[in-house]
Amino acid sequence: MKVAMLGWEYPPFKVGGLGTHCYGLTRSLADKNVSVDFYMPKTKHSIGSDRENLIIKEVGETEIFPYDRPDVKELAGRFFESVYYYNDLLVQKVSGKYDLIHCHDWLTMKAGVALKEKMGIPLVLTVHSTEYDRSGWLNPNDWFINIEKEGMEKADKIIAVSHFTKRVIVDKYGINPDKISVIHNAVYPLGESGKKNIVLFLGRLTIQKGPEFFLKAAKKVLDYEDTRFVVAGIGNMLPRLIDQAIDMGISNKVIFTGKLTEDEVKHIYQISSVYVMPSVSEPFGITALEAISAGTPTIVSKTAGVSEAFRNCLRVDFWDTDELANKIISLLRYDPLRNTLAEHGKREIDLFTWDRVAEKTLEVYHEVA
Amino acid sequence: MPSVCFYFEVHQPMRLNRFSVFNIGNVSDPLPSYFNSNLNKQIFEKVAKKCYLPTNKLLLDLINEFDGKFRISFSLTGTFVEYCERFLPSVLDSFRDLFKTGAVDLIEETYFHSLSSLFDDLDEFTDQVKMHKNMINRIFDYKPQVFRNTEAIYDNRIAKKIEEMGYKGIITEGTEKILGWRSPNFLYKPANANLKVLLRNYSLSDDVGFRFSVRHWPGHPLTADKYAQWMAHCEGDLVNLFLDYETFGEHQWTETGIFDFLRHLPGEVMKHKNLDFVTVSEAINKFEPVGEIDVPWAISWADADRDVSTWLGNDMQIACFNEIKDIGRKVKKMKNKGLLYVWRLLQTSDHLYYVSTKGLGDGDVHAYFSPYDLPYEGFINYMNILQDLKQKVM
Repeated sequence: MKVAMLGWEYPPFKVGGLGTHCYGLTRSLADKNVSVDFYMPKTKHSIGSDRENLIIKEVGETEIFPYDRPDVKELAGRFFESVYYYNDLLVQKVSGKYDLIHCHDWLTMKAGVALKEKMGIPLVLTVHSTEYDRSGWLNPNDWFINIEKEGMEKADKIIAVSHFTKRVIVDKYGINPDKISVIHNAVYPLGESGKKNIVLFLGRLTIQKGPEFFLKAAKKVLDYEDTRFVVAGIGNMLPRLIDQAIDMGISNKVIFTGKLTEDEVKHIYQISSVYVMPSVSEPFGITALEAISAGTPTIVSKTAGVSEAFRNCLRVDFWDTDELANKIISLLRYDPLRNTLAEHGKREIDLFTWDRVAEKTLEVYHEVA
Repeated sequence: MPSVCFYFEVHQPMRLNRFSVFNIGNVSDPLPSYFNSNLNKQIFEKVAKKCYLPTNKLLLDLINEFDGKFRISFSLTGTFVEYCERFLPSVLDSFRDLFKTGAVDLIEETYFHSLSSLFDDLDEFTDQVKMHKNMINRIFDYKPQVFRNTEAIYDNRIAKKIEEMGYKGIITEGTEKILGWRSPNFLYKPANANLKVLLRNYSLSDDVGFRFSVRHWPGHPLTADKYAQWMAHCEGDLVNLFLDYETFGEHQWTETGIFDFLRHLPGEVMKHKNLDFVTVSEAINKFEPVGEIDVPWAISWADADRDVSTWLGNDMQIACFNEIKDIGRKVKKMKNKGLLYVWRLLQTSDHLYYVSTKGLGDGDVHAYFSPYDLPYEGFINYMNILQDLKQKVM
């Protein structure tokens, strides 16, 4: 079987779960004798494949990230234009004999639909997040929704990263549930190292990820426990979050790291005692699996996709900062709780392999091709 | 010619309130702060309606119908009786009515359904057994001869203590761990004490307790005549069928046919000339031990492991258990009856059961019975309460 996969990011160049997913999925598919041509924008980093039947094909250049909003300053109003341009380029460049097209999220959906029609082969679409998630369910933008809706309607099969996301696809986009399969994400385990007294937030600093709830809980925790809070990542909320920390009088206990390299990300997961993912809307949340794989007890938002699939983590309503603080303090205070969660978490992580994701994805391929 | 010995455990724990770290040191009255009175009342009334009242009525009818030849035994925990007295005295009245028939026996246990038998010394355990004895005496004017510890936890030390306290029999699990090749369908004697041990026939008991409504089980559907035939084919003196009373109508819903099963069972059993019913006291008077059991490490009837790992199987459970023990040393010196009572209510084994992290098969059973989504939640809540109580006894 030969697949043309339309991606956007690939490690080491990545900002979200989409890149992590494509990396794990393509390599494990290759191990299952599926030939994958992975099309993505040209980047400054050198990207290579260590599998013979996995070929990374760089197509043109683009400055758009899958999580960008139309108002990003760097694109100076050329956002929509850039998206159309790249999709057109893809349609021209993708050629060869393929059994199916597989694309991920809105950025390449237009190209995916066009290629399906041009080449007369099935289209599989993986939904890692929807416009509703990225906007934190506040003012979702119709332009994205229309692209997503068209892609979902035209796709022969849709893979959702959680049942939560499947429900959104059915309820908000009116898609037939029978053509949607749920495949939960996986992780390459990071391994453990010495823990420090750190409570970690790691993610894009956007409304979707709920960093302000992390800071509110931090304030409550600091009245009872002495610890450090690390906010790792960048995003449009960064200035506001720094102000928030200063206003609450906890800026001496909160560290904003800015953008971290892949090695730094791994390190901060490993030395943290607690990881918190208070997302407002989280289709899956691979970062939770990454933290747990580093032996770090993790608190996730109840509605996050990961919390429907993974047992050994704590759950809170993202807005319930009292309960979030209660759980952070309990984790810091009660060693047996921390140790048991870490130990059981690592054991459960072993079930979340990319090999399993590839196997289930392959089942979906076989249904259409 | 085996006798059938039916025994039901009747218990409700006092479930806890949500208690966050921010509550520690900030509540003045522990009892209403720790225990969720509304939830407890709700659950109790629900179970009373689905199980206690209809099952008691059915059993009373059956005893009358068969002229006292259908005989059963109960143990009621102290917390259960407190629920009855506080919320629904009619439930307790229906147990009194059953007892008055003369076909019903009562069993002793710890008042709080606690793990006090696993403490370093057995003083607290002895106190709680005496409390239960006084309670049974007050309500039923009766003195039980047979003892059954919390979830049938048993070891040599417990057996010795129970002998010293004047009981004639004790109940535990008929597990291969202590029996080896031997049958549970006889009485045994502890290696170190002069007592008769009744052993639960877990296979036949779990056929009703766990498997009754499992469709892919080859025995499904379990009918009264089929079950009576299985018992008639048993070798030995007696078949001990020990069940959670909530099996009827609560664990197994009415729709599963559990009440029809129970309604027809005495008649089907008595169709077999070689079967009859005995209470636990009658069993130990009627039969003699055929061998000894030696149990240096505690066993129980819980989970597949049949040991105490259900309550003390992970670090979180052990930490809570150690806190309970530490608080006990201080609370006993204080002579504060209110705090002593609260400490004892917190000893009810269910609180530790909810913190179990056992996976898969057993984990599912734990999840079914737990008011928490996850054992970690159970731990945080219980431990926070213990920390508050600890401050109060300093």
